[in-house]
Amino acid sequence: MATEARKKEILKGLYDGVVEFDEDKVVELSNAVLAEDVDAYEAIMDGLAAGMEHVGDLYANQEYFVPEVLMCSDALYAGLDILRPHLSGKEADVRGQVVIGTVEGDVHDIGKNLVKMMFDVAGFEVHDLGRDVKLEKFVEEQMKTDSEIVALSALMTTSMLAMPKVIEMIKARNPDAMIMVGGAPISQEVADNYGADGYAQNAANAVQEAIQMVSRLREMGKA
Amino acid sequence: MDRVGGICKDKMAPHERVGALMMGQTPDRVPFNPFAMGFSSLNCGYTIESFYNDPQKSLNAQLWTAEQYGYEPVLLLGYAAYGGWEFGGEIKMPTSEWEGAPSVARHPVETEEDVEKLELPDVKTAGIIPISMEFSKLCDEMGLPILPGTSGDAITVASNITDVSLFCRWLMKKPELAHRLLRLATDHILEAYQYWVDTFGAQKIMAGLYVTVAANQILSPKQFEEFVLPYQYELHEKILGMGVQAGFMHICGEQNLNLPLIQQLPLGSPQQPVILSFGHEVDLEKAAEMFPDNIIAGNVEPQIIQNGTPEQVYEVTRIAIEKGKKAPGGFFLMPGCELPPMAPGYNIHTMMKAVNDFGFYD
Amino acid sequence: MAEQPQPRQETMSPGERMGAILMRQRPDRVPFMPFIFGYCARNVGYPIARVYDDPEKSFWAQMWTAEMFGYDGGAMYAYASMGGWEFGGEIKMPVSEWEQAPIVAKFPAETPEAVDALEIPDVETAGCYPIALEFNKIQQQFGMPIMVMAFGCFTPAGNIAEVDKLCRWMMKQPDVAHKLLRKCTDFSKKVVDYYVEHFPNYPMMAFTGEASAANQIISPKQFEEFVLPYQKEIHDHILASGIRNIFCHICGEQNLNLKYWAQMEYGDPGILSFGHEVDLSTAIEYFGDKHAIAGNVEPQIIQNGTNQQVYELCKAAIDKAKMAPSGYLLMAGCEVPVQAPPYNIYVMKKAVMEHGFYD
Repeated sequence: MATEARKKEILKGLYDGVVEFDEDKVVELSNAVLAEDVDAYEAIMDGLAAGMEHVGDLYANQEYFVPEVLMCSDALYAGLDILRPHLSGKEADVRGQVVIGTVEGDVHDIGKNLVKMMFDVAGFEVHDLGRDVKLEKFVEEQMKTDSEIVALSALMTTSMLAMPKVIEMIKARNPDAMIMVGGAPISQEVADNYGADGYAQNAANAVQEAIQMVSRLREMGKA
Repeated sequence: MDRVGGICKDKMAPHERVGALMMGQTPDRVPFNPFAMGFSSLNCGYTIESFYNDPQKSLNAQLWTAEQYGYEPVLLLGYAAYGGWEFGGEIKMPTSEWEGAPSVARHPVETEEDVEKLELPDVKTAGIIPISMEFSKLCDEMGLPILPGTSGDAITVASNITDVSLFCRWLMKKPELAHRLLRLATDHILEAYQYWVDTFGAQKIMAGLYVTVAANQILSPKQFEEFVLPYQYELHEKILGMGVQAGFMHICGEQNLNLPLIQQLPLGSPQQPVILSFGHEVDLEKAAEMFPDNIIAGNVEPQIIQNGTPEQVYEVTRIAIEKGKKAPGGFFLMPGCELPPMAPGYNIHTMMKAVNDFGFYD
Repeated sequence: MAEQPQPRQETMSPGERMGAILMRQRPDRVPFMPFIFGYCARNVGYPIARVYDDPEKSFWAQMWTAEMFGYDGGAMYAYASMGGWEFGGEIKMPVSEWEQAPIVAKFPAETPEAVDALEIPDVETAGCYPIALEFNKIQQQFGMPIMVMAFGCFTPAGNIAEVDKLCRWMMKQPDVAHKLLRKCTDFSKKVVDYYVEHFPNYPMMAFTGEASAANQIISPKQFEEFVLPYQKEIHDHILASGIRNIFCHICGEQNLNLKYWAQMEYGDPGILSFGHEVDLSTAIEYFGDKHAIAGNVEPQIIQNGTNQQVYELCKAAIDKAKMAPSGYLLMAGCEVPVQAPPYNIYVMKKAVMEHGFYD
């Protein structure tokens, strides 16, 4: 059992490892978490996820750009792969399920992948449909997995027009599904016009938005 | 003259041009209206549905699209499926990408007993009338001519009240049922016109008359004589008798065999002729010959405007202009029926180009 | 629109207007080049793909649409996802109603080894170039200047390896990234040489641009290392080959890169077009003395906004940039969306006619 001081050191190390995209360091410390009996859930949430949250801020402030964020995400996943199998019972429970994809006609998935990562790290079960996803596929996957949230991404002005259509199709089959949209041409106003339940300006705020949506659903007793 | 793209040789503003035509004078060039309904809405970024259920958007779309292409606006919020909703059935607004206009979702008359029970609706609240009246008020505020949004065609209304094939069966087997529906339709149309005249005064109103379902693709000339002519005669006589400013009559589709019967209708006077618009099925030279006192309008085939190449559109438009220009009563270039909402914009521009190239009188 | 426009007479043809810009003279009014491709196909009733796969139809769709709306600039052949097909991968033409332009269907070099193995293709057979050349020959037939699609470096590299791989290489194996960028740059120069050789003494302008180098993706420091030297080399080569003007589209959020773009040459003058993310005043400050500025009406608004919003946006852009020392062209910040309402494009011209005249 690690001392409190050692635990802090490991968590800080994981945090820094993600922020500094030091994959080797994250792997080493994740193994230390297991060897020294530190709580895996704490290591993920207070180490890796906290680090990624800071990365989100760095991106928003134009200190980090996509290449850096991709490196951070590689480091994060390296840690998650080691730690996740060791989550115990309740901690392993998912926070919610989300179907995610870039809509039909659009192959731009960097943004979508970053959002997906944020969902992963926040404890959501993510059903990633990839890019250029046929509209019906979103509906089918939502129904199949009974996911609370469907997250739609688009970079192109043409493919963004598919969003209101998917939203309509999903809501027709399952009015309780919550839908969030994001991508370069999307704004809060566009999201409202499209009848989306949520809008994410960036990856970090996607998760916050999603958590709020899930709790809204739970309050309504529907999830 | 407020076009901002392309070359414009116009010497008259659109309302001056139409005014000259209606007064029997020669305008600077052939006036042009593409019968653009859902097309105008899409052109301005609205849904087709908004053309029929949002008076302000409908008016904006019609005025803006006319300004963009430089054609003469003919402002109307109405639809061909008129009758079903107005007599108590249900309408379905166009929502899918393949729908171009409203359609009857439930007919108020489905059985013979329904015909017996059918009554005239309250004209002020029937179906599309409140929306269309709102539209007319917007036109009035802008000093624009008012075309009532009711139908002007009893047999089309009757065949929208019930299913058209059922109606056709009654024509053959239970003519009394058909006549009862036609009577109600005629009375309703007249009530609606009275409502418009009471609201705005006859002088501001332009009458819209039609014969659509009566086309020979559906009815024989003999049936036209029995089931169309008497009601249409009454409508023309009474509506024009209200003192309205002018009349416009759309003779839709294949009506060649009906033309001698249509000649018997009151079609205005030489001082105030009704504009007769024809489908591509009726030759414009023949139309001009048979109706020398009327303004002839038409008849570019809508299907070509939608699917044809610009060269084809230019050519059919040129032919229509050259034939129509010879009409002694004057000519108004139009498609043979409503412009398909998905027609490529460039084809409308091409029609305008043909007007510029061949439509000037000198 | 309620207000009645003041009728103004255009005194120059589109060709004369562009000529004036290139001679550093004031045209009769601000030229209007919407930056419009797939939309033209839709406007004349063709599938969008025809703009990219059928030179004849592409040319006429663009010329007809220009005539209809009365805008300047005619026709050009270009698309953003160049690189993948040209270097041996596969392209997918837009087919569904949600697609706007071609996309890379198979990336030709997804590993460092594949980058090593990449060969510089022949211009005559590389990807879309045979189509582009056919297109250019039609332009030549009508005596119109040719826009040489000069390929580029960073965006094509991202279309060859996929952008996230290129980003990872920049971080971990910069030599692989540089190797790929070198090959793209060499091919660009080869394209320019080909045009100069095959259209001797013919009026040409070169088209360059960068989308993937935007700060939504890479940092200014990365731009300095991975974009600047290659892009500069391409521009220098174009100008040295005798092509006098470069039209460069600086796509998206590039504010932090402007100081590097300012280190490149664009000819005398060049035309630099910007997205709505770069303020036109900023653009004029950096480049306006030497080059004409174009831009930057937000495409999303052209598609989804009301015509009043579009008009106001155009008016604001014209008011801001009309007096740029080397001229200004009204343009969308990026390609005009295929599904934009036609009336919104008309309104852009209307704003030019009502606010763009010089006198």
